[in-house]
Amino acid sequence: MTRPHATGADLLVLHTLRCIGFAGLARVAEAAGLPEADVESELIDLGVAGLVSHAAGDFGGWGLTEAGRAADADRIAAQLETAGARPAVTAAYDGFLVLNPELLDLCAAWQTRSVDGVLTINEHTDPGYDARVLDRLTALDRRAEVVGEALSAALPRFGRYRVRLGEALGRARAGALEYVTDSTASYHSVWFQLHEDLLATLGIPR
Amino acid sequence: MRWIRPLSPEVEETAAILGAKAHGLVVLQRLGLPVPPGFVITTAACRAFLRDGRLPGGLDTELAAAVADLEAATGRRLGGPQRPLVVSVRSGASVSMPGMMSTVLNLGLTAEATAGLAAETGDPGFARDSRRRFLSSFASAVGEPVPDDAARQLTRAVEAVFSSWDTPRARTYRELQEIPQDLATAVTVQAMVFGNRDGHSGSGVAFSRNPTTGEPVPFGEVLFGGQGEEVVSGAALTRPLRDLADREPAAWAGLLEALDRVESRYRDPCYLEFTFEAGQPWVLQARPGRFVGGAAVRVAVDLADEGVIGRREALLRVSPRQLRLVRTPRIVAEDGADVLARGLGACPGVAVGRVATTAGQAVRMAADGPVILVRPETSPLDLHGLAAAAGVVTARGGPASHAAVVARAMGKPAVVGARDLTIDVADASVRAGGHTVPEGTLVTIDGTAGAVVMGRARIGTGGADPHLDRLLGWADEVSGGSSDRGEAARLGAAHAALRHG
Repeated sequence: MTRPHATGADLLVLHTLRCIGFAGLARVAEAAGLPEADVESELIDLGVAGLVSHAAGDFGGWGLTEAGRAADADRIAAQLETAGARPAVTAAYDGFLVLNPELLDLCAAWQTRSVDGVLTINEHTDPGYDARVLDRLTALDRRAEVVGEALSAALPRFGRYRVRLGEALGRARAGALEYVTDSTASYHSVWFQLHEDLLATLGIPR
Repeated sequence: MRWIRPLSPEVEETAAILGAKAHGLVVLQRLGLPVPPGFVITTAACRAFLRDGRLPGGLDTELAAAVADLEAATGRRLGGPQRPLVVSVRSGASVSMPGMMSTVLNLGLTAEATAGLAAETGDPGFARDSRRRFLSSFASAVGEPVPDDAARQLTRAVEAVFSSWDTPRARTYRELQEIPQDLATAVTVQAMVFGNRDGHSGSGVAFSRNPTTGEPVPFGEVLFGGQGEEVVSGAALTRPLRDLADREPAAWAGLLEALDRVESRYRDPCYLEFTFEAGQPWVLQARPGRFVGGAAVRVAVDLADEGVIGRREALLRVSPRQLRLVRTPRIVAEDGADVLARGLGACPGVAVGRVATTAGQAVRMAADGPVILVRPETSPLDLHGLAAAAGVVTARGGPASHAAVVARAMGKPAVVGARDLTIDVADASVRAGGHTVPEGTLVTIDGTAGAVVMGRARIGTGGADPHLDRLLGWADEVSGGSSDRGEAARLGAAHAALRHG
């Protein structure tokens, strides 16, 4: 017996791939919050159904087919309407858009510094500066919680983003600096996947 | 007046009160350079506005008086049905906060004033174009319906510029840059000069020396028939500055004079924003050129040779940290180089590769050699293409866009916001400025300068550099040290000797 509006594993895997793009098994599992074995089994079933495909090579991985993209759009829209969640998700998206430019500024500030008005790479040799950026990011994350909670209440699958954003921020604050912008599980990566998810869920073209 | 100062050579107050922009304009006036007339509302008025949530008492009267003075000086009337006065309303704090605050241009063009401008110039198209620019500028800065009353337009614009000091983005920027939150911005109001006026009008930006090499030759770009914002934002395709010499010799001569006087005053290269209207040049803004890397080294050595500064000052002008930038590859700026598009440099470095218009194509083409991924913008769905590419170009977005952040994470040269580019995925081509560039065409991108150049461009690799060798020779003389150390160490030792000696 699943909870109302809970997302089945097949749709969860399909939609995760829709939001993160081409990715290997480990990244899909991390993003979806499911064991790798389960995700692999779902991916194979989705592949048999012609909704996903696997490309070999250095930059390969799992990706949606055109049919998969269309199927995801249909199913995720149906879920939104069945749950009656459109007004809540739309309102949360408006809240997200207020925070988005601030988050992007902070990511840019994390990676670059203006030296005499010229853009240079932040070499992370000034702990005071890095700490100021992380403090601002923490403050922004607290404001983002309101949006996250509203989304989870409307559609529980959105709860995974709060977990992943919290993990990324925690790791960055613990000294793993790549979790701000540079790793595939960084705050910036997860934030951007949430943005992509909101657009996909509401059917808004980029 | 308590809150307002005229722009005049006699104004004595500091940039803390006038803002750096107005302060710079006063300096230009003292140098005898042509600056459009205007006035400045001080940072004190902004602080009062931010504290009380409304413009301070008495400002409205002062504003009306300042406008009346400007009307008298120009022989025009704000919102007038004949010879209307049109103004620019610009932010300007004592510190630089690029792109963080608001500006409203072409203000005063009510429906009636627009008709008046059309009648005065005999050019309804120019008047309409200017009004269109005003409406979009007002809308993005003020965010509410445009009153058809010029005085109210001005009041609302001033409030909007003051408010733009305190947006969350601006607060964050200041916190990170350690800029005090209570400096506040001034507002500079000047009579508009119209780069879009006629065939002998335009706008541009100019450095007194080449900013990538430091060579003592004026360098910049010019947009014929356009206003300055288009040049600065990179929204329009500009011409090399030299074209001005052939097309508008009087404006060119005036510009050279201005570059010369301002550089002499700074004792350092300068950057000017200028407009010429019906052949007559005007200087709109001046600031130091802020050269880095090899250009900074060359300028320091040249200025010492020219006797403008001493060798000690030449040494102190280049920081050891700068020396690393000498080694960052750059496209060597050349007038007439085949520039496909310009945007913002988002991650320094140069990449040469073949154009791919989708992430999938980038992955496929990367097997046969370096690829430049060219996209309208990027999203997580392009990550594999970004990973496969040697560099990235986007038509939209700024320094904080997805493409910029990811490119820096991957250490790949990136140019973003190259607005002139159109990416046609169906046709597998990229268009800009009348060129159509099919997928697979070789281009070079410079993630410092924000340039996309056709073919394989000349690249400054930071190899043997006679100017650097001379500067380091001076450093060794000062420090008494030897030359068998790293470059930064040699310069650092000289700095230490000069500061403590």
